[in-house]
Amino acid sequence: MMNDEMEQFESRLSRLPLRKIPGEWRGEILAAANFCLSPPVTRRSFLSTFNHQLSTLLWPHPKAWAGLAAVWVFIFALNFSMRDSSPRLAAKSAPPSPEVMVELKQQQRMFAELVGSYEAPDADRRKIFPPKPHSERVEILAG
Amino acid sequence: MKMPAGMDIERLYDEHAQPLYAFLLNFTRDEADTRDLLQEIFVKLARTPELLDGIREERAFLIRLAHNAAIDLMRRRGTRDQTRENFAAEMMSPFAPASDPDETVFREKLAAALGELPADQRAVVHLKLWEGLTFEQIASALEIPPNTAASRYRYGLDKLRDRLRPLYEEMKKAE
Repeated sequence: MMNDEMEQFESRLSRLPLRKIPGEWRGEILAAANFCLSPPVTRRSFLSTFNHQLSTLLWPHPKAWAGLAAVWVFIFALNFSMRDSSPRLAAKSAPPSPEVMVELKQQQRMFAELVGSYEAPDADRRKIFPPKPHSERVEILAG
Repeated sequence: MKMPAGMDIERLYDEHAQPLYAFLLNFTRDEADTRDLLQEIFVKLARTPELLDGIREERAFLIRLAHNAAIDLMRRRGTRDQTRENFAAEMMSPFAPASDPDETVFREKLAAALGELPADQRAVVHLKLWEGLTFEQIASALEIPPNTAASRYRYGLDKLRDRLRPLYEEMKKAE
């Protein structure tokens, strides 16, 4: 009798429906779980990010970009080499001494005489072309 | 050995989330806490799928995870929520709402009586009555001897019957 009563009670309780799990939880909980399944996001260093961006940018025509880069490298190299050499040369070459200057002028004169187009210095030029009226000066030049 | 992303975890959810939800809700009596614990369990499974390696009874294993999570939560709640547990009737019932007023009262009283049971008895009563597990399965899930499971069930059911007897008798007469 007591057992029957207990069984009825148990049966009564076991038939009670339980509350249903809210449907929207499925998406939320699975999203949280799947987030843990996905591989961890690796932090890229600045260089690798830059490299990635650059390769994305250059990918369509890599040869053209490489050529352009080579041209720029050549220009920069040339620019640097010129900038380097000119002050060095200037520093190396000391101002010429008066003797050297005289010697240089003599050589210039000799060279001009040999060639035949020596232009005399201002003092000599005055002798060659004494002051004359303008009309005569023109004739000399024309002759 | 990694679980294939998004496949097994979904199957596990579809097969086991509902009973785990009811089990956890019977402990926590709080929907937000139940959701947190359920999410904690599935995130744990996603992170360490090898937990299920060699497990023959998934349900029993998941109930063990849920039980441990619920016990941890109750410990965390501490003294403040010991009081809260004693007023379980005022909190969320694990039973679906009823349209009949007498049935509603019965379910409310039962929810309150369940809330007053010690946690170990409540777990066994829930798994036997509403999950239909055998004492062996309950023993496996809760890591207790089968005799202990049986005795906890008997004590728990006796308390429920004593608590609900007047109402239950009345309802029986009305039927």
